[in-house]
Amino acid sequence: MIRWLLKGIWRDKTRSLFPFLVISVGVTLLIYLLGFMEGIFAGMLDVSAHLDTGHLRFVNKPFYDEEHLIPLDRALGGQNETLEWLRKNSDPRIEWSPRIRWGAIMDVPDEKGETRSQTPVVGVAIEMLAADSPERIRLDLERSVIAGRVPSGPKEMLVGYKLAEALGLQLDDFVTLLGQNFDGGMATDNYKVVGFVRFGLAAMDKKMALIDLTDAQQTFYMEDMVTDFLGFLPREVGYKEYDVLKINIESHLALFKQNPPKNWAADDDPIILSILDQRNLRELAVKFELVDEVVVGVFALLMILVLWNAGLLNGVHRYGEMGLLLAMGETHKKLIGLMALEAFMIGLIGSAAGCLIGGGLVYYLQEVGVSTHGIFETSGLMMSDTIHARLSTYAFVFAVIPGVTASVVGNLIANLAIYQRSEANLFRELEAG
Amino acid sequence: MLVIDHVSKIYRVGGQDFTALHDISLEVEEGAFMSFVGPSGSGKTTIINLMGGLDQPTSGEILFKGRSLAKMDRNELAAYRRENVGFIFQSYNLLPVYTVYENVLFPLLLNDEKESAVREKVRALVDQVGLSPEINKKPTELSGGQCQRVAIARALVKDPALVLADEPTANLDAENSYHILELMLKLNRDFKAAFIFCTHDEKVTKYVRREVRLEDGFVEWDKTKQPEGHFS
Repeated sequence: MIRWLLKGIWRDKTRSLFPFLVISVGVTLLIYLLGFMEGIFAGMLDVSAHLDTGHLRFVNKPFYDEEHLIPLDRALGGQNETLEWLRKNSDPRIEWSPRIRWGAIMDVPDEKGETRSQTPVVGVAIEMLAADSPERIRLDLERSVIAGRVPSGPKEMLVGYKLAEALGLQLDDFVTLLGQNFDGGMATDNYKVVGFVRFGLAAMDKKMALIDLTDAQQTFYMEDMVTDFLGFLPREVGYKEYDVLKINIESHLALFKQNPPKNWAADDDPIILSILDQRNLRELAVKFELVDEVVVGVFALLMILVLWNAGLLNGVHRYGEMGLLLAMGETHKKLIGLMALEAFMIGLIGSAAGCLIGGGLVYYLQEVGVSTHGIFETSGLMMSDTIHARLSTYAFVFAVIPGVTASVVGNLIANLAIYQRSEANLFRELEAG
Repeated sequence: MLVIDHVSKIYRVGGQDFTALHDISLEVEEGAFMSFVGPSGSGKTTIINLMGGLDQPTSGEILFKGRSLAKMDRNELAAYRRENVGFIFQSYNLLPVYTVYENVLFPLLLNDEKESAVREKVRALVDQVGLSPEINKKPTELSGGQCQRVAIARALVKDPALVLADEPTANLDAENSYHILELMLKLNRDFKAAFIFCTHDEKVTKYVRREVRLEDGFVEWDKTKQPEGHFS
């Protein structure tokens, strides 16, 4: 019977073409919208992860609890041992990178060595000296440096371009960092400003400086110590998977704490965080999902309405056929079942076409992206200048379900009239027609 | 085989009762070849609908092989039609997107038969109605007479006890009408199915062995006769 129905659908375009087009377009738009919205959100998460939180973060709890104060004395020792443990006990797709968050007064001297300008800065220390450093690639430093170059030697620094403007910095100027070291003593060190960087986020461009991890360890007396181990995941891993990966690491962590690296302090208590645990991003994720559901709901409703209408027209067009089937001994229930099966098949074929078109479109936007031409630059949102859509199974599922459901429900509502009609009436109308 | 026992049918039209059939009683024997004749509104189509289980009488009952159609629910009536009744229509009512072969096959698919099991039967029947060369054509490519042959094959493919034909020759010219009637007469003999026509067409009445005339819902007369035929 399915073969029979498929033949009818293929040969009689009046019964199948319009619903097919509606479903294809609807599913295409849904996949596109969901992929694009997920891309916006995932893009925000990625920017936040790369600059600040990591997709996963391994951090000492005492540091995390007071991180607004950047308490370097609560940084975690045993850098290499901890890093090795993380690599062995977490999903192999995670790339772990040690970082130091630091804060200091940046003093810019004049030619006599007197203070010309001064401001507090927040900084991050990353492994960035090697040209193929993953951190350098991750932060896209080659492209983000708008003047000068990326540091290639010790005690070189990148400064946010707005910060540089505020301090009247020139390339190759020396600045002095005045801060607190790991022991609570005063840390001072000179750095050469070799480049101005544009992160695309006003707050960071005004306050941020980047130095190499080894330099920071020297400046702040933090040998073999870091404040964070950030875990980064490839684009194809959706944010919903982060919590699973986090729980997986947590399951091994208790054992690690029982036999910790010798450089950990007695009260060190590292924890693993997903990006969603930080900066209220979980709430934002919930809101994005809600918007997704509203979009899916509205589309499904619109498709049901259009397909209901199409089903009514189709019902009128095929009134005779239905009367004939009843005369031949088909039951009302089976007839409605056949119509629903036919609608299901049209829904499935339309959804498949929509998946192909929408999936292709999203894939293209995932690989190429859409430039926002800097419209988010001053918004304070951690958003990339280029939005990449995200192709996800979730988008396909949430597009195909309403695609098929709308087809079947629209058809069933339209066929209610036929269900309520008596055989004799349908038969008479068949003869009249 | 089929007993119509004191059957009346009243329709409510525009708030008024309209009696289409008045206390009709008659019996249809197996392998009958009979017609209901009479003017429009005499009750011909109503009695065909009642015999086909498409409608229920207001009073009286119709018994098929001893089983009352009135006591059957919707699904049982559908099964009765599916297994025992073939319909032939004035306007053929073939499924336009399907071929001759597929149209004839369709009632068997409704009976949950596998196509592979009935393929030869369908081909043989299409051959019997003289449409083997047209077996893969669609109804739009056939003449009226050919369409009606397809409809006859479709009605007979499930070996029904009863074939109900409502004005089967009304859309055909004289020559095609005679061909179709000859064919139905032959198939009546071959298949032993009872053919019951309702018709205005005098050509049909020449072929039938029994003629029941209805007038305003009453049986005016019911006569058995020798068929005159045309070619035979």
